[in-house]
Amino acid sequence: MRRAKTPGAPEGIHEINMTPLIDVSLVLVVILMVATPLALQSSIALRTAGASGREAAMRGQTERVEITVLSSESVRVNRTVVPRTALAGTLAPLLGGDTPRLVVVRCADDVSNGTFVSVLDEARALGASNIAVVGR
Amino acid sequence: MRRRRPSASELITKINVTPIIDVALVLVTILLVTAPMLSIADLPVDLPMAHTRGAEDERNVSVTLASNGDLAVDRDRVTPETLRAALTLHLARSGEANVLVVIRADSSIPYGRIRNLLSEARAAGAKRLAVATRQTTEYMP
Repeated sequence: MRRAKTPGAPEGIHEINMTPLIDVSLVLVVILMVATPLALQSSIALRTAGASGREAAMRGQTERVEITVLSSESVRVNRTVVPRTALAGTLAPLLGGDTPRLVVVRCADDVSNGTFVSVLDEARALGASNIAVVGR
Repeated sequence: MRRRRPSASELITKINVTPIIDVALVLVTILLVTAPMLSIADLPVDLPMAHTRGAEDERNVSVTLASNGDLAVDRDRVTPETLRAALTLHLARSGEANVLVVIRADSSIPYGRIRNLLSEARAAGAKRLAVATRQTTEYMP
C-alpha cells in the first residue's frame, strides 16, 4: 500500500537514518572485543632475587615464609611438605599475623608456569604483599 | 540586527555535524586508551589465571614467551641470544629507571625458562619485575 502524499507539504526525509548509528556501534563492539582480553590482563609483582636475598639474610627465619614448589602436586612450606591442595590451609596461619611477612618462593624447573603463578596467587590472596623469587 | 525567524514550512538544509564530531571524539578517546594495551606482541599466549591483581603500571615493557617458544619484547620479535640487548634498548627508550618489566609467558611453559627470562631482565637493568596473569572472578575456595 502506498502512503498518500499530502498535497502542498514540503518533501523531506522523515525517517531517521540508522546506518551511521549501526556503523559506529559495530566499530565500538569490535574495539571492545579486541580490548577486553587485554584489559583483563594483570600481573603479580616479584622482588628481584638479589635484593630479596640480601633482605632475606637480614631477616630472621621466623619473619619469612619459604615456599618451594616441588611439583604440580606437592609444595614445601618452610620444612613441611604438603599436597598442593593443602597449601592455603598451611599458609593461612603463617600469614595471618599483623606483621607483613616476606614470602620467598622457589620452584622446580619442570613445574609449569601455571602452577607457579597459582602458588603466588594463593599467597597473595592470603595476604602476602612481599613475594620474592629465588633462583637456583 | 534582527534575525529572520524560519517559518514552519522551511526545511533544515545544513548537515548537523555535532553528532559526528561527538562520536569521532569518543572513538579517538577509546583508541587513545587502548593504544598502550595493544603494544604487545601478537603471539599465542595463554596466560595463567589469577584472582589477585598486583603490579599495575600503564608504562611497562613486556617480554612475551609464547607456547611455541617464540619470544618478543613489546612488539619486536627477538631470539634468546638478542633478548638482553633488545630489553636494554627498550628500557633505555622508556626513559625511566623504574620501568616495570612484565613477563608474559604461556601457562604451559616450564618454570626453568621463566627463571631464565627473569635473570635476563635483571641483567638488562630491570629493577621491577612482574609475571603476567589473566584476571578471573571465579570463586577460590
